[in-house]
Amino acid sequence: MAAEFFKKTLDPVIALSAIAVLDIFLFLIVGAWTVGGGETMMTGLIAQAVMGDELERIPFWSLVFTPDPTYWKIYISLGMLFGAFVGAILSKEFYIRMPRRLSEWVLITIGGLLMGIGIRLAFVCNVSTFFGMTPEMNMGGYLAISGIIAGAWVGSLIYKKILEG
Amino acid sequence: MSAIGQCLVAFVFGSVVGLLVQRSRFCNTAALRDAILFKTYRNTKALLVAMMILTLGFTLFLTFGEGNPMHFDVGLNTFAGLFIFGVGMVLAGACTVSTWVKTGEGNVGALWALLFTFVGMFLFSLVWSVNYWPPAPASMTGEPNLEAFQLGYSNAATLQEKFGIPAIVFGVIQTGVLVLIYRAIRRKEEAQAERHRKSQAAHKDMQAQPAE
Repeated sequence: MAAEFFKKTLDPVIALSAIAVLDIFLFLIVGAWTVGGGETMMTGLIAQAVMGDELERIPFWSLVFTPDPTYWKIYISLGMLFGAFVGAILSKEFYIRMPRRLSEWVLITIGGLLMGIGIRLAFVCNVSTFFGMTPEMNMGGYLAISGIIAGAWVGSLIYKKILEG
Repeated sequence: MSAIGQCLVAFVFGSVVGLLVQRSRFCNTAALRDAILFKTYRNTKALLVAMMILTLGFTLFLTFGEGNPMHFDVGLNTFAGLFIFGVGMVLAGACTVSTWVKTGEGNVGALWALLFTFVGMFLFSLVWSVNYWPPAPASMTGEPNLEAFQLGYSNAATLQEKFGIPAIVFGVIQTGVLVLIYRAIRRKEEAQAERHRKSQAAHKDMQAQPAE
């Protein structure tokens, strides 16, 4: 059974159903699954480590996010990294992969920047949108879903243009 | 619960999620991109099923005042931010979850995307420190504030309070809508499969004809 789990690809419907049930428990204990908040806190902690007291000159880091290493959302992300690493090792799928072309590096760089800016502007990431806000029927969930679908559509148009050269 | 306890719970949750996502190759970006670009719905269907379970679960507990819903005002920035995010995730080929999971698999491109997500967040913190928009959580009122393009705060719990109807009723309605979307996708897939079978059959007929 265990060997099977690391050999075959798991049906995403089963995986996501299990994650949904766990997310309900997390919602009861601390709050729904989210990634963006933890990433912001990590950004703040890294900035603090690099800049020291200079960080106080940027009010965002005292008014919106005060760097705090005991912020629980950070550990969801670190857990995902750990879980994926263990899964990849046990299923012999871990190996170092590099984007080959320069264009890929450029797209990933721009994409990463846009994701970071977007998360902070919205106060939510895609995970909170689909696995937190919308199931809580928060009005922001519907705004966010409309935004992400429109964005993915525009992104797909750009992507297609690039693919077709 | 103590802060350390919360971090521990979060880490265990994250580890199981990371493992399940790694084994299933689920990707939120693919759930949207593949549906738009390639008309394939493997990830979209999984996302919809998760949302059905979550909607029922969350609204059931919200009915009894349990759980920790997200609590902040939303508005134009919510739409605009996720729009920017949506463009970014398709270009990067990864979202917040898959950057972590793929980094765990040894994907350097995903790690690069993650680093630049951090850089993007830091850049935003500089801009925010100049214009102070969207409003900081401490200055949020929960009410619409049109000057700041904010619509306030509303979820299944506030609906229950306002209309005296249990939150779960709204949850059942939303789940119904999600089921309808799921069924529409299934029908589309069946139509695709039917077309595929027909074209294959036609291809076989052509091959079966003897050459003259």
